[in-house]
Amino acid sequence: MTPDALNRLVAQLAKLPGIGEKTAQRLAFHVLRSPPDFAKGLAAALTEVVDKVRLCPRCFSLHDGPADTRCGFCTDARRDDKVLCVVENISDQLALERTKEFKGRYHVLHGVLSPLEGVGPDQLRIRELLLRLEDSPIEELIVATNPDVEGEATALYLTKLLKPLGLRVTRLAQGIPMGGDLEYADQATLARALSARREL
Amino acid sequence: MERFTDEALVLSCVDYGEADRLVTLFTRAHGRLTAFAAGARKSKRRFAGALEAGTWLKAQLVERRGDTLRLDGVDVLRSYHHLREELPRIARALYSLELCRELLRDHEPHEALFDALRGYLELLEERQAGPTSLLKFELDALQHTGFRPRFAPCALCGGPTGARPLFDPEHGGVVCEGCAPRVPRGVPVSASLVDALARLQAGERTPLPAELRARARQLLNTFIAHHLGRRLKSVDFMEQVGTD
Ligand SMILES: [Zn+2]
Ligand SMILES: [Zn+2]
Repeated sequence: MTPDALNRLVAQLAKLPGIGEKTAQRLAFHVLRSPPDFAKGLAAALTEVVDKVRLCPRCFSLHDGPADTRCGFCTDARRDDKVLCVVENISDQLALERTKEFKGRYHVLHGVLSPLEGVGPDQLRIRELLLRLEDSPIEELIVATNPDVEGEATALYLTKLLKPLGLRVTRLAQGIPMGGDLEYADQATLARALSARREL
Repeated sequence: MERFTDEALVLSCVDYGEADRLVTLFTRAHGRLTAFAAGARKSKRRFAGALEAGTWLKAQLVERRGDTLRLDGVDVLRSYHHLREELPRIARALYSLELCRELLRDHEPHEALFDALRGYLELLEERQAGPTSLLKFELDALQHTGFRPRFAPCALCGGPTGARPLFDPEHGGVVCEGCAPRVPRGVPVSASLVDALARLQAGERTPLPAELRARARQLLNTFIAHHLGRRLKSVDFMEQVGTD
């Protein structure tokens, strides 16, 4: 019979996305076989992440400062207050940040409108975005949602809300990826690339 | 293992694990099918933009005993990407897809409905479908799947529905005042609405005024929710974006 403690660990691990019962068991045995310091470090890291990492109350990105303070993206004085980039999630924000091209502020929606999944505007950080616009000098809002149906729906919905406020609303350009191949591009991408062509 | 190719419309698509997606297709000859698209989240080339809701494609499918179908490859016939340029058109397209997804059953072909859905998406893409076209599409979809609502004559006695009809999804639609005692859960409905829906169902192509459309929407929502056992999710979206 397997010890209860081991069963509990397997059951917890199996709740992680993409981890089945078998993999959970393998991971649990790995923890058991490793030096005790590894398990202690893992447990401490898990506890720390839930205790310390929270969402920034301004942009809803990750933040590990004291409660009620804003994150580095929001407080960095070198960043431009006039441009705000709206992203679906934190991984997209980090991807944009890695380009080192964008120097404005961010707003993380934590999802996109998904009519077929029943995800509406109230489940996203849209109300918070509107509140934020009331007391900030933002002139341009870049909508950086994905170019799929949900991302497009979200971008159009935001445009409908924000255009009347006199803001400049822009959308990330869409087209052929670098190193891409016209022959393999889908119709929608190719059509968008054609209509957004630029003078050389 | 059996390989087959079928024309299909993508009804919906969800991410599965790190790299894959599960796609629900409305195939012309095999009805609704759910297939596993390996690597669809990562490989941009194999399914390049093709698994978006509404895309019309030729699907290469592989069936293995006791296993989920596998989507091996696709050829896009039309991606209907222009309809993604406006919120009301996105909302209507997604609503029509969800309606079909819920009305259909796996492996039950409905070629007439397939053609109706494709025709409707085509109209949306070409900006030729207003809100009345959606009501008409819904009535057609219900008819093709055996849920045709009855607006005239009376669903119970077959007589004229008269000036004070009642609507009761449980009894299939509209009943006359005389049959009212037999439908305790029936709700009063205006004769003008019943008349408008009966004409639309019969193929008359006159756009309905907004006020009548709003009441038709409520009535169809009730009817569809009764037969599916739940309200369609994209109905809320249509309300949120202020379209019908
Ligand atoms: Zn912040
Ligand atoms: Zn009757």
